[in-house]
Amino acid sequence: MKSLIAFTKKEWMEQLRSGRLLLLLIIFTLFGIMNPAIAKLTPWIFELMADSLEESGMVVTTVTVDAMTSWTQFFKNIPMALIVFVLMESSIFTREYQSGTLVLALTKGLERYKVVLAKSFVLIVLWSAGYWLCFGITYGYNSYFWDNGIVQNLLFSVTCWWLFGLFVVMLMVLFSVMTDANTGVLLGTGGVTLAVYLITLLPKAAPFSPAKLMGSVALLTGAEEKGDYYKALPITVVLCVVGVMASIPIQNNRRL
Amino acid sequence: MEMLQITNLKKRFGDKEVLKGVTLAVPEGGVFGFIGKNGAGKTTTMKTVLGLLKPDEGTILVADEPVVYGQTATNRYIGYLPDVPEFYDFMTPSEYLTFCGEITGMDKKDIVTRREELLELVGLSGEKHRIKGFSRGMKQRLGIAQALLGRPKLLICDEPTSALDPVGRKEILDILQAVKEQTTVLFSTHILSDVERICTDIAFLHDGVVCMQGKLSEIKSGKRTEEYRIETEREADARTLAEKFSECALSGERQLLFREGKATIFELMRFLADKEIEIAGVERMEPSLESLFMEVVKK
Ligand SMILES: Nc1ncnc2c1ncn2[C@@H]1O[C@H](COP(=O)(O)OP(=O)(O)O)[C@@H](O)[C@H]1O
Ligand SMILES: [Mg+2]
Repeated sequence: MKSLIAFTKKEWMEQLRSGRLLLLLIIFTLFGIMNPAIAKLTPWIFELMADSLEESGMVVTTVTVDAMTSWTQFFKNIPMALIVFVLMESSIFTREYQSGTLVLALTKGLERYKVVLAKSFVLIVLWSAGYWLCFGITYGYNSYFWDNGIVQNLLFSVTCWWLFGLFVVMLMVLFSVMTDANTGVLLGTGGVTLAVYLITLLPKAAPFSPAKLMGSVALLTGAEEKGDYYKALPITVVLCVVGVMASIPIQNNRRL
Repeated sequence: MEMLQITNLKKRFGDKEVLKGVTLAVPEGGVFGFIGKNGAGKTTTMKTVLGLLKPDEGTILVADEPVVYGQTATNRYIGYLPDVPEFYDFMTPSEYLTFCGEITGMDKKDIVTRREELLELVGLSGEKHRIKGFSRGMKQRLGIAQALLGRPKLLICDEPTSALDPVGRKEILDILQAVKEQTTVLFSTHILSDVERICTDIAFLHDGVVCMQGKLSEIKSGKRTEEYRIETEREADARTLAEKFSECALSGERQLLFREGKATIFELMRFLADKEIEIAGVERMEPSLESLFMEVVKK
């Protein structure tokens, strides 16, 4: 336990001193601000463009924006935030393999599974902290400007998306222990994400795919119900646990 | 007791057999020099001892316990310095040693005393900068400090001096010399003068096998071929000798190196007396590792 804590502490020190932590916080904060900002600016942009639009024969009605506009933006933008997160943290294992920094720790008797656990933990905390920070900021602005009450199933739907992020984190861990290079992690994670997305295009299989959780914006308007997610949710949780657990024996047997 | 016992170790990479049955015994105490040319398989051997590589065949015992690949419990006896040590360079040396102590489960007080002691030993105490900007020599010294942290019974250093300038090399050798009271030292090298400076035992790795090993003093005195330096008064005589004896090689205008072979020193002397060749000097050479190494490699 002591060694697990020590290694986790080292991970945090690395995140902090390399500047990644700060950068992630800034990025998620900006995404959080962007959602209500875009919503707020939409009518203004329309007004600016109204004249030229009318000239070209389009009818411009006054647009009304509310919390729904902002939350729609949230779900539109959060994939971007996840991609930035993956790009920034995809080398969390591989840079240690490539530089050889793990060799010293492991020959000192640090068990390999603790490396997997510590890094998975750090990734989970970073994603969660960033995600909920982004959510919190959007929520705060929305309730200041408009009324969050018009949105249905808000907490449930953002939790779905958060869980999808955890699924991607699990993929990062799994592909990290299997490959030596950063590109392997990115290709693997991207490939599987694309695959589960493609599954959602098949109506029969869609409810079972983790990528179903990405579409949880449909819950806000009541277009879908919570029940529509009751298959994808447990499946994703199980896949996350299985993925991290599978990483451990792979890590134990890989050559350094 | 043998600190490390390797028996018939074999390892191949693809179709290239690097280790073809290495047998090696490192006795407790002393400094063991593991000598071999670049690519001989020194690093491969050491990595298998540390459980970082899986052997194809053979057994390895560390303090009489077998080495297991992957989760290697015998590593608790070993301090290891890889050929190119890589540290978390966002840490200071002191932070790094603390981290190492914590992952090995040392208690807090012990970490602090041991850390300060070792930083002092390797000349890095008071170094408050992060490892990022360190020179090769500094990293190598920090590497020795981290290897010694857990008071290992066996210190394994992979070519600790190879990439360093003469000053850096001397520093490392002095440190290894100083720690031999506390632990058995095994280090690999292709620099023979380093071995002659500090080793008590040696082994030559060549062609995938250990072709010679034992106490440095015994190996040197047990060497069969003797070498002599002969200086003649006249240049022409030196050339005559070089032509007459294939064992002779000109090493200067009037200097020859005579390595006993078919002809012994006595035959040479007889020839000198018969031909009344004037001699400026004859000197028996201290057997050098260099010549020993060349002999082994030629075979
Ligand atoms: N991972 C590997 N894959 C393929 N060949 C390797 C690998 N590691 C070492 N070798 C080969 O094994 C030989 C011995 O290497 P090494 O043990 O590093 O030699 P040394 O340390 O004595 O210089 C070299 O020819 C090297 O090319
Ligand atoms: Mg080597």
